[in-house]
Amino acid sequence: MIRVRHLTKDYRLGSNTFRALHDVTFDVETGAMVAIMGQSGSGKTTLMNVLGGLDTPTDGQYWLNGREVGRFDPVTWSHIRNRTIGFVFQNFNLVPTLTAIGNVELPLIYRRVPPRIRRTRAVEVLGAMGLGERLHHYPTQLSGGQQQRVAIARALVGDPPLLLADEPTGNLDVNTGREILSVLQELHQAGRTVVVVTHAPEVAAVCERVLRMQDGRMEAQRFEEDAHELE
Amino acid sequence: MNWSDAVRVAWHGVWGHKLRALLTMLGVVIGVAAVIVLVAIGNGASSVVASRIETLGTNVLFVSPAAGTPFTTAQVPYIRHNVSMAHRIVPILDSAGKITVGTTTMGAPIVGTTPAYADLGSLHVAGGRFLTPVDAQFDRHVAVLGANVSANLFGHSDPVGQTVALLGQQFRVVGVLNPVGQGPGTSQDNEVFIPLSTAQALLGTNGLSLVMVQAASPSQASLVDDWLTNLYTNLYGSPSAVSVQSEDQVLATLSATRQTFTDLLAGTAAISLLVGGIGIMNIMLVSVTERTREIGIRRAVGAVPEDVVLQFLLESMGVSLVGGVIGIGLGVILLRLAPLILHSPAVFSPTSVVLAFVFSTVVGLGFGLYPALRASRLNPIEALRYTG
Repeated sequence: MIRVRHLTKDYRLGSNTFRALHDVTFDVETGAMVAIMGQSGSGKTTLMNVLGGLDTPTDGQYWLNGREVGRFDPVTWSHIRNRTIGFVFQNFNLVPTLTAIGNVELPLIYRRVPPRIRRTRAVEVLGAMGLGERLHHYPTQLSGGQQQRVAIARALVGDPPLLLADEPTGNLDVNTGREILSVLQELHQAGRTVVVVTHAPEVAAVCERVLRMQDGRMEAQRFEEDAHELE
Repeated sequence: MNWSDAVRVAWHGVWGHKLRALLTMLGVVIGVAAVIVLVAIGNGASSVVASRIETLGTNVLFVSPAAGTPFTTAQVPYIRHNVSMAHRIVPILDSAGKITVGTTTMGAPIVGTTPAYADLGSLHVAGGRFLTPVDAQFDRHVAVLGANVSANLFGHSDPVGQTVALLGQQFRVVGVLNPVGQGPGTSQDNEVFIPLSTAQALLGTNGLSLVMVQAASPSQASLVDDWLTNLYTNLYGSPSAVSVQSEDQVLATLSATRQTFTDLLAGTAAISLLVGGIGIMNIMLVSVTERTREIGIRRAVGAVPEDVVLQFLLESMGVSLVGGVIGIGLGVILLRLAPLILHSPAVFSPTSVVLAFVFSTVVGLGFGLYPALRASRLNPIEALRYTG
């Protein structure tokens, strides 16, 4: 699914250059559930942005679904994001003026899916997320857990093969966080590739693999047992 | 994103901020309504000028002195003696005055003139009589009222035989004129006519405002014009001391003035529309900033920059177009009311509607473009991180 080789990202801060990613190399197999862990400032969010095409790498190669996408322009990336990637954010990132349905429909609007079909599809996915009773609620009328479920529904509505989650439980209490985590696990078990960026060990614990970031470098790849040791 | 979705998304953006959209719209509404009303008023004034051509004979010349040129009653025999083709010579002394009946007072131009005035054009007495040579001879305090003056002071009752106060004196009303619409300068309907000699005595002058000279036929008018011009150029040694104008020239001057007036009004209205447009831009910029995160979200789920441009452009165009339509409605309603308020005819012009509509579209497009482009160029990462 994801194949990254010698990925480097530099930021210019005035006259200084800050290296956010330093020769990062890793693979994520199709259908895997992988955690990218690290302290804040370790480069994990930058990596996430590059993986999602929101940021372009300074150097290195990035293959997504067999295509070399590292140098794609913003418009091409928009199409890739729309069809291949579902985003889940720490702060949910729902549009406050849209209802649950309206938010979930968004990716389909930009895919030119006709209104009736995308509405049916949005209702279907929201129902699967257990939000069948909350279709016409606005984000402010929903609890944090419900908002994150709407966000997951939005990420899933276009049926993308890859789910990128950035601290999906970061703004939730422990119990709600567990619920959201189990939703992600279910999606993984249903065959989707899930990449979770987190600094929470309990999130990493449910993933098959943990990739650790520090100072822009990726540490040795560990497996499930290692993650359990961290707890 | 297809067009119907783009329109839907834009509509949602507007509907999500109803009050703000309404206030933004107000600028365009006022601008467009102003264009329509002010252009109509300007046109109304111009149409008055056009209709005026028929009210006086076409072969009348206006002889008026420049400021400082001595110009007295003596001009009448002087012209008669030197310009044999002058058919009628009517001296006029204008003054602004007040006319009072009981407790009702109104301002009215007071025209001191001779009985011959009545023969110049389409001036007809509705009741009583016009001024007579006898009135002039004895400096009688008699007055003939224009139709509007009579209607304002006496309503439907007959003013003939009644007494009015003019220039501090009592005058007997001897006649009322038929409404004629507009005459040269101000409308005769609004004027009060008294004998020239009486006016001169009360104002303490033997001067004249102008002399109207009528040629026997239209074909002789230009000849008379030349004669008069030569006469006064020789008399004063300068062609500018006394101006001789045909009615056409007077109308052309008036019409040019009216055109300037119309242009000025239209310009004022256009400026208010422009200000409305700047209002749109201002609000759209605020809106873009406020919805930075929304833009980031849309980009993250697959909106291309063009989708974002389209969304914000359609929003600003929607606001200005709806504002334009409301403005046109408001303008038309105001035009219906205009005669009640302005006492002047307003001529509705379909071109002004088209103009207003096109202008409001252009305003929406023009002033929406920059905010829309700005929105589309936001970095999605920063947009998603934005906490406003």
